[in-house]
Amino acid sequence: MPRGFTLWFTGLPASGKSTLAARVSEILLERGMKVEVLDGDVVRQNLSQGLGYSKEDRDANIRRIGYVCHLLTRNDVVAIAAAISPYRAARDENRKLIGRFAEVYCECDLETLKERDPKGMYEKALRGEIANFTGVSDPYEPPLRPEVVVNTAREPVEESVEKIVRTLEQMGWVPPGDARGYSDEEAEAIQQRLRDLGYI
Amino acid sequence: MARPRKRRVCVVGLDGVPHELLVRLAGAGVMPRVAEIIRGGGLRKMRAALPPVSSVSWSSFMTGANPGEHGIFGFTDLRPDSYELRFPLFSDLAAPPLWDRLAEAGRRSAIINQPATYPARPISGVLISGFVAPSLERSVWPPALLPALARMGYRIDVDTQRAGKEPGRLLDELEALLAARRRAAAHFWDQEPWDYFEVVVTGTDRLHHFLWPSVEDDGHPRYARAMAYYAQVDALVGEMWDRFHAGRPGGEEGQGFVMLSDHGFTAAAWELRLNAWLRERGYLTYQRDAPDSVADLAPGTRAFALDPGRIYLNVRGRFPGGCVEPEEAAGLAEEIAAGLGELTHQGEPVISHVLRREEIYRGPLADRSPDLVALGRPGYDLKGTTRSAEAIAPARLAGMHTWEDAFVWTRLPVPEGPEIADLAPAIVPWLLG
Repeated sequence: MPRGFTLWFTGLPASGKSTLAARVSEILLERGMKVEVLDGDVVRQNLSQGLGYSKEDRDANIRRIGYVCHLLTRNDVVAIAAAISPYRAARDENRKLIGRFAEVYCECDLETLKERDPKGMYEKALRGEIANFTGVSDPYEPPLRPEVVVNTAREPVEESVEKIVRTLEQMGWVPPGDARGYSDEEAEAIQQRLRDLGYI
Repeated sequence: MARPRKRRVCVVGLDGVPHELLVRLAGAGVMPRVAEIIRGGGLRKMRAALPPVSSVSWSSFMTGANPGEHGIFGFTDLRPDSYELRFPLFSDLAAPPLWDRLAEAGRRSAIINQPATYPARPISGVLISGFVAPSLERSVWPPALLPALARMGYRIDVDTQRAGKEPGRLLDELEALLAARRRAAAHFWDQEPWDYFEVVVTGTDRLHHFLWPSVEDDGHPRYARAMAYYAQVDALVGEMWDRFHAGRPGGEEGQGFVMLSDHGFTAAAWELRLNAWLRERGYLTYQRDAPDSVADLAPGTRAFALDPGRIYLNVRGRFPGGCVEPEEAAGLAEEIAAGLGELTHQGEPVISHVLRREEIYRGPLADRSPDLVALGRPGYDLKGTTRSAEAIAPARLAGMHTWEDAFVWTRLPVPEGPEIADLAPAIVPWLLG
């Protein structure tokens, strides 16, 4: 049975893709899975060096990440991609190529994104200093049927992480966490409670 | 937020509320919202699973299966090839709960305080386990909801150790617990996308165990408080009903709304301690003077009991110290059943039913079931304790479970004379229809 799959995070800049990808990858590693994270910012410094931010270049970048994810997935590795990936068609192309593909849409309102703005990019984009900035001066097409939607403005990180891991468990792609039996202390507590209620 | 285009189901569970009590409190004006709901018909008496305890009965509710299929026969069971007691887990449930079947069809559930689901496991939606969950920490799926529940003051149960000694405190705790349950229900109703919603009130069972006369006797010093508690239970039912119907056409009233209890209740005056009775009759001996559990049975024991009225024959091949030959088992079962049937106390019979396993259990796990299940007449609570040499003694608790007078209110098609396992097979196809 295949064990690899691709978990694809998409969303506007600063919407939490890299943070969530890192947390989910830790959990999957703890569960004995082989995991590789392809972060959009990192990929642009090597695999996609030289590509710009035109639609063509962006699509080429996403196709390259998708191809690497495909190779990893078919070799039983969990490939986690965290990239803005603004165009639906390019993401869907990857879904088709990879097969075992789950999309996580990191939803977040512009107000919150502007407040976060870790690199000061929104501020610059809104001042017109950056052309082709997704969400401000470049389009973003949200997925129509993502496997998971997380709202990073409203949900704490752990809640979003649980949601993602839970979905993967339900898809049968990730084994459940601990064995979830009783500890000795719990058994004692249960015994006491059952005695109090006259059951034993 | 709920999705109006699809059918939805809302279940309100009232643990241990007998049909007769619900009708009486509705009629007396203590539960006006319940009265409104049941006025138009749809309320039925319902049989609990056997034995009639929450772990078995709720397991039959959630799976729509016989205990011989879902494998839960009591709060306790024996470890394989041993007489050591263990407490069955949610993971021992051998049939899928209805919300897993709904999830396969893409439907989500929000379930609050479901007994017999500890530790909580992943579901499509939210699950908060109920009794016998010893801690909230592993009772919540997804665990990320724990902080929100803590902020609501959510707890699973009252302090059962103090409940018997401090009735005033018990009522305070029951009210606080119910209020937190209502907050949680309102929160998840609004915050979670769901198709199946369920909230179970277990405080009713606690009230009955410790203070049954307070719901029966209007001269009881706690009667007014017990009624005030029931009025709050009624308010929860009304709140769920109103939320469920908000924005829906009147012609659909009640469709998909279900109320039920998992067993009935009555006053307990006496306990029949089955192991002491079996010992008196020469079927059972212990290795120690002060036996702690059936793990202290002596060789040669032919039958023993687990709570509440489960009698097991110590058959060779089934138990490690088995000494009853398989071909003798049927005769021995008849002999014990006859002895129990003839048992009297103060001139009155003690036992109402002794059922053979083949009358109750069917399915691949039926061979793990007790050989006999005995039920006491009202007032005689059956116990599986080994800590008493006295077969009949005054009851320690005020109330006892009953089998045939649980209730269900639903407009879904359920068989005449329903039993609790009949509900899931009505709910699932309707919801997916």
